[in-house]
Amino acid sequence: MSTAQKVYTWLDERLGLTGIYNVVLDRKVPKVNWWFTLGSASLFLFVMQGVTGIFLTVYYVPSPDHAYDSIQYIMNGVSFGWLIRGIHHWGATLMVVVVSIHMLRTFYLAAYKYPREVTWLTGVVLFLATLSMGFTGYLLPWNQRAYWATTVGTEIPGTAPLIGPLVTRVLRGGADLSAVTLARFFSVHIWFLPAIIAATIGIHIYLVIRLGISSIPDKDD
Amino acid sequence: MNQEFKQKYLDKYYKAKQKGVKFFPDIIYKDMIVSFGLFLLLLGLATFVGVANEPKADPSDSSYIPRPEWYFLFLFQMLKYFPGNLEWIGTTVIPGVAVLLLFLLPFVDRNPYRHWSKRKVAISVMSVVVAGIVGLTMLAAVTTPPQTEAAPLATSLSEQIALGQDTYSIQCVECHGADGEGGEIIGVEGLEGVVLKPINDQDVMYTFTDETLYNVVNFGQPAQGMPPFGKAYGGELGPGEIEALVAFMRYTWDDRAELPPEAEQRAAPPALAENEVPSYEVHIAPLVKRYCISCHRPGKKNNNYLMQSYAEVMTSGDHAPNVVAGDLGSNLIRMLHREEIEAGGPMPPTRALKPELIAIFERWVLGGAPETAEQAAQLAAPALPPPAETLQVSPVITITLTAPVTSPLPVTATLTVTVTP
Repeated sequence: MSTAQKVYTWLDERLGLTGIYNVVLDRKVPKVNWWFTLGSASLFLFVMQGVTGIFLTVYYVPSPDHAYDSIQYIMNGVSFGWLIRGIHHWGATLMVVVVSIHMLRTFYLAAYKYPREVTWLTGVVLFLATLSMGFTGYLLPWNQRAYWATTVGTEIPGTAPLIGPLVTRVLRGGADLSAVTLARFFSVHIWFLPAIIAATIGIHIYLVIRLGISSIPDKDD
Repeated sequence: MNQEFKQKYLDKYYKAKQKGVKFFPDIIYKDMIVSFGLFLLLLGLATFVGVANEPKADPSDSSYIPRPEWYFLFLFQMLKYFPGNLEWIGTTVIPGVAVLLLFLLPFVDRNPYRHWSKRKVAISVMSVVVAGIVGLTMLAAVTTPPQTEAAPLATSLSEQIALGQDTYSIQCVECHGADGEGGEIIGVEGLEGVVLKPINDQDVMYTFTDETLYNVVNFGQPAQGMPPFGKAYGGELGPGEIEALVAFMRYTWDDRAELPPEAEQRAAPPALAENEVPSYEVHIAPLVKRYCISCHRPGKKNNNYLMQSYAEVMTSGDHAPNVVAGDLGSNLIRMLHREEIEAGGPMPPTRALKPELIAIFERWVLGGAPETAEQAAQLAAPALPPPAETLQVSPVITITLTAPVTSPLPVTATLTVTVTP
């Protein structure tokens, strides 16, 4: 037995790598088409957003005095800062597109039906969390577009009867958009939502592996 | 769905799996191709499209037309159909019901069949919703008016300084002088005769932080006569422009700050070669912008002499023309030489232009006051050598009027001479 094999056996005995391989990778799945790649594509985009986002936090400052300038610095001063921000910016758009089409594919091929109802539920959570990421991330550059879009965006729930004004206050952290709003949008964007998304992706993928990829329905289904 | 249906589905799915493929490598490889394609797409978008540079948030500028990220446009558009008291239906009821339905879909849709031909209702409803969302998004994109003149944007420090210089030239020069030297204010309504301290010296630069400078420009010092310039207080400048202005002042006048070489180059008067005829666009416009335009623009006391374009410089004003090509006795030149004439007093009022700058104006007027660099080059070009067979034509034509011309209208005579060898 070579050294590499010995190391592998040692690890396998303790980590159960062969078991993971058998369950996760070596499983049989029905023949499906290219539309079925969008789930993993969504995961890929989430990871890209996570990686570029982490790099952006190195220089980004979530305060009204410095947010705009810190992004100008990322774009003009930091090596490849423009690339990281560009990927993060377009990644958001692409992720909304890919996640939406993934969801429509699930709907049109009836993949949300028995036994995959819970997978669908977690999927809806992921879809809404993705949109919320878009909404909270939009404010962070603290430019005119961001400021006024968020002003209007946080006004919208305020029109709801009874609890509306309270919701707007909670979203803004006060009567108007301020440093508090930016701080909480930042926090939600980089901690709350990613944590929710990561956990939900875990459940989603566990269910996909447990139940198998749905097959394409034929005329008898 | 009853037990029998469930069992039937599971059995069939089991068979489909047996006839199917291995997740690794068959499915994974497709997934990786798509993800890699998306990665390339992202690189391309980030590199070739990039992220548009937007002006900094300005809470005082309520004229900005808000627009959400494109994937919320349909919501934005839908709200337009629920005005006034009905607004909450569009803002809460419809989105709330939609989200709820989305969650409950597997429980609302009890139809056990999966093929599209057996779920026509569900498919139709979803298709209508999708078409509606796409339609509303397109409608919103088409009907939202374009943003009214975006404020100029500076991305690098030297661009910011250049923008600050332009802003200073327009907004500040009339009182503080072209280089912040101050002095007696002449020709500014309401502030005539006020004597200003310099703002370009160490007293100011060493004791005022950027923030102080920003606040002074933004709010003004109304008790001392300085009006507010920030939009928030009724002025013309947004935060980005005031920041640029402060950067310009700091880097130009503070002897502890080092002006970036690129900005220094921009600030220098345009180069002029020995035999070159200056042109308006290359040589005169930057000087006019820096030293004259603060007063010679609409709404200022200037005898209606505006200097914002070539045409205005040549033809506007109560004493027009102030520039006559080839004539060093033009009003403009005489006033630059600080003569007191009918058209007005010395210009700029508080301090003479440097002789080398006046010389550029003189060479421009003498050279024929051309507008573009191309025209200037033609005027400067030495006459073409005469052709071999020279035709001698006496250029002097004398027209003698034998009778006095009496006409209430101006008399114009056109003389066309065609020479055929």
